[in-house]
Amino acid sequence: MTNILLFDEINNVPATNKVSEKKLPGDLAMWIFIVMELTVFAIFFIAFAVTQRIQTEMFIEGRATLSASTGLFCTLALIISSYFVALAVEAVRKGNNVAASRRLMLAMFSATVYLALKLNEYTTLLELGYDISTNTFYTLYFFITGFHFMHVLLGMIILAYMGLKARKESYIPTDCNGFEAGASYWHMVDLVWIIVFFLIYIIH
Amino acid sequence: MSRLLNNVHFSVIILILLTLVSTLLAQSNIQTNVVAILVTLSVVIKGQQIVDIFMELNRAQAKWRWLLLSYTILIPLVLAIIIYS
Repeated sequence: MTNILLFDEINNVPATNKVSEKKLPGDLAMWIFIVMELTVFAIFFIAFAVTQRIQTEMFIEGRATLSASTGLFCTLALIISSYFVALAVEAVRKGNNVAASRRLMLAMFSATVYLALKLNEYTTLLELGYDISTNTFYTLYFFITGFHFMHVLLGMIILAYMGLKARKESYIPTDCNGFEAGASYWHMVDLVWIIVFFLIYIIH
Repeated sequence: MSRLLNNVHFSVIILILLTLVSTLLAQSNIQTNVVAILVTLSVVIKGQQIVDIFMELNRAQAKWRWLLLSYTILIPLVLAIIIYS
């Protein structure tokens, strides 16, 4: 790779495909932000697992009040949302801003299903008398899922902004770093939920 | 249809199937080490699909790809070890 770069500099020719293939999607700042976010979530996940290990009975009882089907449909909603975002990136790279905008709309619709399911779950738990101060399980449950919920909201704002820009034909195939960065953030939100689902709804 | 699109289509099917299978396994009340390993493995594979296909890090520099992949491998494993061991 170094040889290829030197050759390009000396001959003043455009970078080869081999070099461009190794490009990080989006921009570096977003990836540093993503790694920081993932680290914060990792600390919460380990805290949840260690507390479950110490207070096993409490966590078994707490998990029994959650609906695995709600977790399942939340997961499917975010996976499908991420799928449409990935398709939107492909559309932008082909110069089809209109298709990208439509796909982002579908992604946001799918994410709205997740939001509705989570809000319904929170409401049900609160009506049953479980809140963030009930015990350690609910403290960690509401904290982790609530923190993730806020990330989904922020992600949807970013997707909406990207959708509006795409509708104005603002992205061009050779300059869509901003679009890729927003999409990467959304995939990070999906990645975190995959582990949240595993940790809070599946493991027992 | 480009190669990327094929990968994304294939990846979303894998993600949905793994989610359904791991949920069924977890709800089956069969509590064995094999089930625990399969469910944990499904999370690792789902993470790999998101990192490599959706985030497209299979086309990025190896250090970034492996940074994210190590997260999707290590975190579910550490969580499973803490809880199941």
